[in-house]
Parts: sequence; structure tokens; C-alpha cells
Amino acid sequence: MDLLSTSGKPGLLVDTSAGLSLGALPGLEDFKSAVRPILSLVDGVVCSPGQLRSFENRTTRDAALLVRMDWTNTLRGAEFPLPPVKAFHLNLLNASDALALGASGMVATFLLGYEEEIEAGCQKAAVQLALTGKEFGLPLLVEVRTTGARISLPGKAVELGASYALECGADGIVIPYPGQASLKTIASMLSVPWFIKPTSAGTVFAEWEQAGGLGAAGFWLDHAWLVPGMPLDQVAARLHADQDRTG
Amino acid sequence: MDNGLSIRMQHLFNRHGDGRAVCVAADHGYMSDVTPNVVNLRSVTEAVIRGGVDAILLSPGQAIRLAPLLRGLDGPALIVRADWMNLPRLGSSNVTNAVPQRRLIHQKVMTAEQALSLGATAITIYLFIGYDDQVEAAGIDSCARFASECRKFGLPCIMEPLAVGGHVTGANIVDLLTLGARMCAELGADAIKIPYTGDVETFARLVSVTQLPVLVLGGARSENERDALELLEEGLQAGGHGCLMGRNVTKSPDPEALVRRLCQVAHENYSVNDAMRGRKWDKVRLRVVTSQCTGCQLCVTACVAAHETRLFGNHMARLAVVPQRLGENKVYYCTLCKKCIEVCPTGALRWDRGTGAVSLDLEVCTACDKCVEICPTHVVMKSDRPIQVADRELSWYPVICDLCGVAPACARICPTGAITVDQRKMVK
Repeated sequence: MDLLSTSGKPGLLVDTSAGLSLGALPGLEDFKSAVRPILSLVDGVVCSPGQLRSFENRTTRDAALLVRMDWTNTLRGAEFPLPPVKAFHLNLLNASDALALGASGMVATFLLGYEEEIEAGCQKAAVQLALTGKEFGLPLLVEVRTTGARISLPGKAVELGASYALECGADGIVIPYPGQASLKTIASMLSVPWFIKPTSAGTVFAEWEQAGGLGAAGFWLDHAWLVPGMPLDQVAARLHADQDRTG
Repeated sequence: MDNGLSIRMQHLFNRHGDGRAVCVAADHGYMSDVTPNVVNLRSVTEAVIRGGVDAILLSPGQAIRLAPLLRGLDGPALIVRADWMNLPRLGSSNVTNAVPQRRLIHQKVMTAEQALSLGATAITIYLFIGYDDQVEAAGIDSCARFASECRKFGLPCIMEPLAVGGHVTGANIVDLLTLGARMCAELGADAIKIPYTGDVETFARLVSVTQLPVLVLGGARSENERDALELLEEGLQAGGHGCLMGRNVTKSPDPEALVRRLCQVAHENYSVNDAMRGRKWDKVRLRVVTSQCTGCQLCVTACVAAHETRLFGNHMARLAVVPQRLGENKVYYCTLCKKCIEVCPTGALRWDRGTGAVSLDLEVCTACDKCVEICPTHVVMKSDRPIQVADRELSWYPVICDLCGVAPACARICPTGAITVDQRKMVK
């Protein structure tokens, strides 16, 4: 899978799978028509299992489709109509399911800062997906989410999540921007491609300057970037310009 | 023992034909916060392989990536960590914890079959005792399942009993470790990895109750490399089969050199001193601690008795114990100062290449008296009877300490440890 290769070309992944937990998202109400235009713009789209079933007639120029393997209610905030009382994380698919759906890769969430059982569950699921994914040649991307209330050192927590993901056998790792110091530690630690989730649209290019300079494999953007007016095309243009330089 | 299990146990414990193994645990990044030793595990792995390590313990993810480094006929064995726990991050006292944990979680994360598919020679799993009943019961369940799975695939199962939690005290930790080791044996472990109990006697008992190969683990890193070597040496003395050291090696400034030294202690019977020096000194010298001498004269008698030279009487001993004031005693002994050798005009006195002591060649000795005169400790004696050498007779000959080969009788018999044997390098 090229987007997880270490060829040095930065890639752009967009995560549209949050509907699993948040329902119809702004800009993604009509999922097919919303995603179709960006298939040629980005390198990979992370879909829910249901979304993945709706893709037909894709071409080799289209973005790779990755499937979200798990569900969590931790994406929901206090203002959500069904605010979470207790954090949950469930595995939805196994590697053979992902293969049957035609996914090019699997995406698992690694939650930190919640109850011990949540973290332990993420750990076990990641190891199992990495091992079973190997059998099918399916790469595993682990998305580190340090959103729990117990996080005491945010940058260090991202380091921990990245380290754990690596030890679990991830083929690629997605981390939130952790600050410059932790970014350097993570860059020196990871021997697999790693992607950065920018803090906001306002900081995206500055953070790419740092992350790209340290060897990041690309950007991971969430569903909010599909809302009209967000500079998704500018980010894509910037990364593709970098691709051309390194290519 | 079935064929697969036998082959893998041999790979693990018998690469040098001595039933021992020096293993390195590099799975800390899987369970603890990010520390420098887990940042670049590839270079650490390469270094310990160069050092001659017998096996490396890795997390599943690191096993996937680093297993190719272990390939080859002489490659070390791969041990896969098949479970996960959060113990290193427990407690609020550790302010460096990025995500502090409140309760111990311990879980199985993979199957024995999956470990086998990664190329594992063995797996290792924890058994926690002393934390609470639920954790212990879950650990028992996990160990029993792994033992059963491993047996099916001929994969050695190394169990690691750890005594942690509120029920563990300084007074009962040795008993709990011994209990844990025995429970692992009863559960079907093929080998045990366990912390050192602190002394040879209690560790020997622990080893004996398991009836299994026991690997001593290193624990937190010591600043002094010697500590790791002494831990291994004492573990071996107690009947252990080697070590499975983690942070002492992975955080060492030179993991390759430390592993090489551990291998020298385990496989080449080096003493810790020899291993620290990097070469074996098989020559000895006497060491005396005067304050421990009671003046019993047993050493003197043993010296005379040890030499069948028809010279009897304590005055013919090659050392002397002389009472001093206030009940103290001074021991005069050969310090290997080589003054006698230097002064000998005929070359009759020389170093014995085998023992490292001074030897006398009576064929060329002229009984000139110079060696007796120059000896600063007055332990080169004149024999009290003549000796026939070929066609001539010497009216006396020098009686010189020969260190009884390399096992001095005086040191062996000394009841207080005032005279001991120390190693030394060969004097040129």
C-alpha cells in the first residue's frame, strides 16, 4: 500500500468514518456525492464499514479506501444529544471482514486517558488486528487519541500512544500534533510511516513544516475538513507539491 | 517431552551445550512510558546480537519488525511477550506518567499459535500474586490456557511470577516469589523468569522447588554494570539457568559489551572480576585480612601437611603467623614480589607457567642463600635437611611457597576467612 510506504512522498488521508458514532455529519449527509470529488484529491479515505459498501466503479487513480475497524462513543461531546456517561470502545470487524469489504487497509483507534479496561481493550485489539492483518497482507493504521480526562502530560501521552501502537505492530501511526519536543521524540522513535492530525486549519501549514521536516508520512484530516469553506484543496495542493519535490 | 518442545528448549537453553541462557528483555516499551531504551530498539537488538545473546524477548509488534535480525543458524531465539499489563504506570507517585493508571490490568493479547507464526521459540507471560484475588485468579486462568496452547504447538511457555501489591511486604516477598514459582511449575510452565530473591540460599530453594530452568530477571537498571553480572553469577550459583535482563542491558551505554560479559559469566565460567576485565585470570595469589586472624596456626600446619617433602614441623611452613601486641596476629606469606627470582644467580627460581607461583629447579640451585636473605616476608626457608640432586648433594635448599598448585591449603583450612585466594593475572 503506497500511502503507508516509506518512499518519502507525503500522503493525505481523510477520515469520514465518524458517522458511526456521530450520525450524519455536516458536509457528509450524502456520503457518496460528498466523497466522490475528493477521491482524486487525497491519497486515502477512512470509511465506516457501511460507507465502504457504497463505493463502486473506483479507478486506480482514486484514493485508497481504509476501513474503520472499531466504534467508540468518546467522539461525542457533552453537547451531543446522547452525551456519553461512560466511555466505550468496541471492535466491529476482523481482518477477514475488512478484506471482504475490499479495504486497502484497516484503521484502529487507540484511546488513552480513559478507564484502564478501555486502554487494555485497544491494546489487545491492535495486536490482534496487526497479527491477523499480516495473514491477509492488510496494513494496520493505528490512530492515537489522547482525549481522556486522565491525561496529565499531553505531549508525553501522545509519545506513549505512538510507542504502544508501534509495539502492538501497527504498520502506520496517526497522532495528534503533540508539540515540537514530543514530535522530535516520536520522529526518532517510529520506524513506520506516521501521520499528523493538525490542530486546526489555522495551524495546519506551520505544523506540517515541523512534522514534514521530521519525516512525517503525511496528514490525517477529520470529517470537519469536508465542510465547504475548509482549505482541504490547499492542503492537498501543498502536500502534492511536496510529493513532486520528493518524487 | 515432545519433539517441537525439545528442539525449542534446546535452542533457548543449550546453544552453548551448558544448559544456560543469557537473554535480553526488550519489551518495556510495550508496557511502560516512553524511555530512551525503547526509542531505537533496532540498534539495541543489533548490539546484543553482536554480543552473543541467546534469546531476545520482544513485544508482538517489535517481533514482527525485528525478527529478521534474528535469522540464521546461529541466530538468537525469539521470545514473544504474549500478554500485556500496566504495572509500570501504576501509582500517582510517578510524576513522569503521562497517563497514570489506578488499577493493575493484566490480559492475554495473543495466542500461542500466533506467537509461533511470528517465529517465536518461546512465549513469556506474567503471573501476579499479592495484588488482589481477582488479578491472581485471572493470571492463573491465563497461564493455564497458555500452558495448554503451548503444549499443543510444542512451544515453551516461560512464566514470570511477580509479587506486587498491598499484600507484599519485605518480610514475605521471598516466600511469595517461591510460592509463585512453584505455582507456575504446577500450572505447566516450561521455564521460569523471576526476580532474584536477594541471596543465594533463598534463590537456591526457589530453584529447587520449581524443578525447571530458572532465569533471573534484572529489575531496575543499576548504574553499576557489575551489579548485573553479580546478579547472574549468584543466580547461577543457586542453580539457575541464566538471566533474562532488560533495562540493565537496553539502557546500558554499551549493550554489546555487557551481553558479552554476561555470556562470559554464564558460558565460560568467568568470575565477575574476569568478566569486567574481559579476560580470565586463572592464576591465584593469597590475600590476608590480618584483623580476622585468630592465631590458630591451622594454616601453618596445613601448609606443612600439604607438602610431601619429608620436612616436618611448623618451622618448615611456607608462611608464618606471629602474635603481636594486644592479641593481634601478623601473617607472613609469599606476596609474589619476585625479589627472589630477580636475585637468583643461576635461574633456579622462576615463575611456574602453570600455577603462577615461584618454582625451584633444584638441578641448577647452588644453595647460595640469596633468596632467603632477600625475602621481605621471611617465608623463603632453608630446609633442615640436605637433598641429593643427580650426582651432587645440596646441604639445604630453599623452601618456597608454591601456592599448592592453585588451591592453597592455608586458605582452604582457614576457619575465619583471614586467608583467602584471590585471582591475579600472570606475572611476566
